[in-house]
Amino acid sequence: MDVVTIAAGLDFSGLLADKVALITGAASGQGRAAALLFGAQGAKVVVADFNDEGGAETIKMLEEQGSEGLAVHADVSVRVDVDAMVDATMERYGRLDVLYNNAAVQMSGRVVDCTDDEWDLTIATNLSAIFWACRSALPHLLAGDGGSIINTASTLGLIGSEGYAAYGAAKAGLVLLTKQIAVEYGPAVRANVIAPGSIDTPRFRKVLDSTPGAQDFVEGLKRTIPVRRLGTADDVARIALFLASDLSSYVSGAVLPADGGLAVYR
Amino acid sequence: MSGVGAEQSRRSHQLTDRVAIVVGGASGLGDAISRRFGQEGATVVVADIDEPGAKAVADAIVADGGNAVAIACDVTKSADVEAMTTAAAALGPRIGVLVCSAAIESLTPVLDLSDEEWQQVLDIDLKGPFLCMRAALPHMVKGGGGSVIAMGSTLGLIVAPGHPAYCAAKGALLNLCKQAAIEHAPDNVRVNMLAPSATTTGLFMKHSGKAPDPDALRAKIAAGMPMKRLGDPNEVCDAAVFLASDQSTYLSGAVIPLDGGLAARRIV
Repeated sequence: MDVVTIAAGLDFSGLLADKVALITGAASGQGRAAALLFGAQGAKVVVADFNDEGGAETIKMLEEQGSEGLAVHADVSVRVDVDAMVDATMERYGRLDVLYNNAAVQMSGRVVDCTDDEWDLTIATNLSAIFWACRSALPHLLAGDGGSIINTASTLGLIGSEGYAAYGAAKAGLVLLTKQIAVEYGPAVRANVIAPGSIDTPRFRKVLDSTPGAQDFVEGLKRTIPVRRLGTADDVARIALFLASDLSSYVSGAVLPADGGLAVYR
Repeated sequence: MSGVGAEQSRRSHQLTDRVAIVVGGASGLGDAISRRFGQEGATVVVADIDEPGAKAVADAIVADGGNAVAIACDVTKSADVEAMTTAAAALGPRIGVLVCSAAIESLTPVLDLSDEEWQQVLDIDLKGPFLCMRAALPHMVKGGGGSVIAMGSTLGLIVAPGHPAYCAAKGALLNLCKQAAIEHAPDNVRVNMLAPSATTTGLFMKHSGKAPDPDALRAKIAAGMPMKRLGDPNEVCDAAVFLASDQSTYLSGAVIPLDGGLAARRIV
């Protein structure tokens, strides 16, 4: 695991010592990378996911690096699951300092082709779920000594694109919801957005594997990214660590793109 | 230009050859836009869940020499929206304009916001416009083009404490407009958003009317605006006619703030 390295004289270890971080969608990809990085920085990590096998694997990896974690089954599109994941965190650790809403579902479809069911599931998973999680976690974050909410939007929540009607809408809604929370709960809780672009995760690979001409597609995609490469889960996790920790103690209501410059270039 | 008053001089018949659907046309800005579109010569479909209210607006347009019908429509029900759109398409050569103006405002902070209130705001303010676009866009494409106007809000661009559901819905709606704008750019269908702030009609008057001293609250809010006054519905109508008409044929995916400069104070 990369540890964040350092300007001279500053100690960038143990950035999340004694903190409890709840990360949704932590059974793979960006969520898992953040879980491992947060753990390495001293946090106790609650790994929430509907993929129990992957969640257990993340816990095993945490333990192998000497970190502590708790796996919780949660389908974030189901409100009672979301409340239960916060309850389980409080039951085990008695506090919550960082809520990282990373879980999402990505369905493509143009406006005229998007069914009611696709719309409802996308809005529930990518927008309502985050509202539920924040509503449930905020009393605990407020009771602590400075909480941090990190919500994962997307480049597609910042700019328009083609074929992501519900997804783009949900992610843009999430940006404004996060700003609301930053304003409403400002004195005690910071709330920020990470907007990942094209990140090379297992889910991305899965979509790619079913795409004809995948290699050409990836090469074309890279040409639209100023840093000329896909992002990695670790790229995103480092930004999340910044937002989770006191390194960002005066950052709230912000949107940090994790996109290699994609949104400003396209 | 003051933008206020002088309605008679505005009749320039810019919308004569098209059907214009105004969803949420029975009250507030939807009512004002319906009447203005009637004056501009459009065949206006006043669609609203409030059927008597929609009928009153349609009757007023007809009495003023225009063409209009009222259609009852719950924007959260896809069957209603489909039926309304099909009926609208039968009224003229093409559906040229869709205005999504039906909305509710919720003034509840995150911690107090119930599942039901959250869902209701998202269903009316976000899913409603989605369902209307999904139903109307194919008709616009078939007719050779059209203009969708979504009524957003300053609160879809910037936030104010206590409006989480409304802000989330309006912020999402802006991105939905951009998506639809890109998807249908080759079809000559344009999708834009108007983002009014406090305007002397509709939701603002309704909510500010609940204050102990509504006039004092409105004066305070007006004093906080860069232009030191509230918006006038006629100013919103001016912008709606611009977007609906052939004056804006190269404008799509845009948001026009109608807020006296308010959003310019903050990062959008």
